[in-house]
Amino acid sequence: MNRSRWWTALIRYVLLVVVTVVAIFPTYWMATMAFKPKTEWTGAGGVIYWYPHNPTLENFRTLLAQNQVGKFFRANTASALPSIRNSLIVATLGTLFAFGVGVLAAYGLSRHDTSAQGHFPFYLPLVRLALLVIILMPFMLLGSRLAIVDKWYGIGGLILIGIMVDDRIGRLMARVYTRGPVGNLPFSILQLRMFPPIAIMIPIMVMWAAFAMVDTLHGLVLIYGVVTFAFVVWLMKSFFDEIPRELDEAAIVDGSSYWGAFFKVVLPLSKGGLAATALFVFILNWSDFLVALLLTNEKWTTIPVFLNRLVSAETGAQYGPKAALGLIALIPVLVFGIAIQRYLVRGLTFGAIKK
Amino acid sequence: MASIRLHNLRKTFGNVVAVHSLSLSIADGEFAALLGPSGCGKTTTMNMIAGLETPTAGDIFFGDKRVNDVPPDRRGVGFVFQNYAIFTHMTVAENIGFGLRVQRRPPDEIRREVHKVAELLDITHLLTTRAGKLSINDMQKVAIGRSMIMKPRIFLLDEPFSNLDASFRFYMRGELKRLQREIGQTMIYVTHDQVEAMSMADKIAVMDFGVLQQFGTPDEIYNTPANLFVANFIGSPSMNFVRCRYCQENGQGYLVQQEGPARLVLDARRRHLLAQRHRADDLVLGIRPEFIHASPTMSAAEPETAWPGRVVFLEPLGARTIVHVRVGADTLQVAAPADYRPALDAPQWLTLDPRFLHVFDAQSGLAIR
Repeated sequence: MNRSRWWTALIRYVLLVVVTVVAIFPTYWMATMAFKPKTEWTGAGGVIYWYPHNPTLENFRTLLAQNQVGKFFRANTASALPSIRNSLIVATLGTLFAFGVGVLAAYGLSRHDTSAQGHFPFYLPLVRLALLVIILMPFMLLGSRLAIVDKWYGIGGLILIGIMVDDRIGRLMARVYTRGPVGNLPFSILQLRMFPPIAIMIPIMVMWAAFAMVDTLHGLVLIYGVVTFAFVVWLMKSFFDEIPRELDEAAIVDGSSYWGAFFKVVLPLSKGGLAATALFVFILNWSDFLVALLLTNEKWTTIPVFLNRLVSAETGAQYGPKAALGLIALIPVLVFGIAIQRYLVRGLTFGAIKK
Repeated sequence: MASIRLHNLRKTFGNVVAVHSLSLSIADGEFAALLGPSGCGKTTTMNMIAGLETPTAGDIFFGDKRVNDVPPDRRGVGFVFQNYAIFTHMTVAENIGFGLRVQRRPPDEIRREVHKVAELLDITHLLTTRAGKLSINDMQKVAIGRSMIMKPRIFLLDEPFSNLDASFRFYMRGELKRLQREIGQTMIYVTHDQVEAMSMADKIAVMDFGVLQQFGTPDEIYNTPANLFVANFIGSPSMNFVRCRYCQENGQGYLVQQEGPARLVLDARRRHLLAQRHRADDLVLGIRPEFIHASPTMSAAEPETAWPGRVVFLEPLGARTIVHVRVGADTLQVAAPADYRPALDAPQWLTLDPRFLHVFDAQSGLAIR
């Protein structure tokens, strides 16, 4: 009996150690590589350096200094600083945008039963961006052919067509959703995530180009907000569902408005959920590559895109600076995570309610 | 203060009728209980009175004013929820003062009012505690305090004591009754516990499946139940029911047990009542356990009305013993004195007190009187 327990414990711990090592090793490798001189990270000579033998900050210097390495590396003569700044701004604003819309939507969906309402007006153009964009594509191409997309009537016309198309889609979907096994509105919000990102990114790129939003701050914030909106809605909805309706009702009966009940009672109680969702969404925005690659070129390049550019025919991939930038990219997420750890750990114990 | 009048109130959720054409009036300052098994529409009714649910049809009046379209925050009702709905992220004082803060009253006044309420409820020592850390009992008090501070015209309580432990529940019942007498508010109290309703309320509305079964004082409900449901629901142990038919012999009226030997002579009033009915062959006789006398020997005085039976089960409850006696196909519960302990399967003779007899129509379930 004792013997077998001893063995199970050993096996368990060995497995744990193996899994931990496998999980941590890439991070370890990146972190050490950031401090290795070029001779060590290239692995020239077939020697693997498990740790930096001659630790150096050269990689960081290469990365951050403006034009300093231009003479040798034509691959990238720009400093990584602007891209770090861009990433910070874009990811933060995108997260805030998704939150501003998503949290309110989640509250509404949590407190009102929308599943039974087949006539729900699906005026949520952002939500069904995917289908909308695909249908709008010909109109947009036509618009740009006629050179009216930069005129007010061109834009207005496109928006009008967009609303009309969206209304049609909405009614169609309302019919589908209320019949099918997933007859609810929250599910429809997920549909954007059901497409492979690349499938919707091409039309979105065309649309963004038509509205001159490529490589702009608002263009990026908008797309990040839209893409992560679905996550905010679904995560926050489940957190709001945990908070008993009676709390809102108690506040309302005691003279509070609906908004007051939301801001004074429900929101403070879902701090943990807000923190967890914020972290999740921020990481999504922060680490996105595809969207940024397609919608930026110079001014608003973000870290992942910049990382991708640290390569050239002359120099090969610059793994050292890449690792250094990766390490830098880790910092905000780490700081954010530690800052809200209290809320994450505290979890969702709503002691008010005895069930 | 205000009286409440519900007129043909109806609420449906999809195809489910939660409240079916409910009409009720509760006088100013009255303590009314909504009593019924879970899912009978009590809470829905409360929510409609508070304005948290919109009636599908019908009207709600506070005094003379129709309040259907008045939003909940303007109705001047206090609501204590079954699960208390305490704001765990606030202190007790913040919880109690919540409504006043929403009204933007000056902080001094809020503090004074909170103190007054806390004193009334005996929770002044808890004011700075985080509400999430309170015991269930104290949460209950805070919930009541939070509603009370608004001085609502109408106080609604939705099973407020169902989660409390037994002794505290008993204490709170007394406290609530005292508070109500002091403040003199109209109070509606939802409960599925008949003892709570009987002991506290001036009037009881018994509901089942969204239909009002009877509305009256506790005595009326207990002594003259309007139908089989009320008769069965009120009283513990509940009323005995025996299926009977009516027959007449030699100018006497009898109730004869359908599946057994028992028969009972009726008084003149009941005889007339039943003789006039077209269908008097399917009746239900109801009698509470307290009004049956069990003895091991046949009583000499009324040989004809004593029912022969056998003991099937004993429930000693301390203050009395509930004896289950099988008569024909029916089993009757008899409330016997505490020291009455007949052997199992022993023959028993039951004598029913004819003054406390209830006769119901088996088809409609309505009382015949």
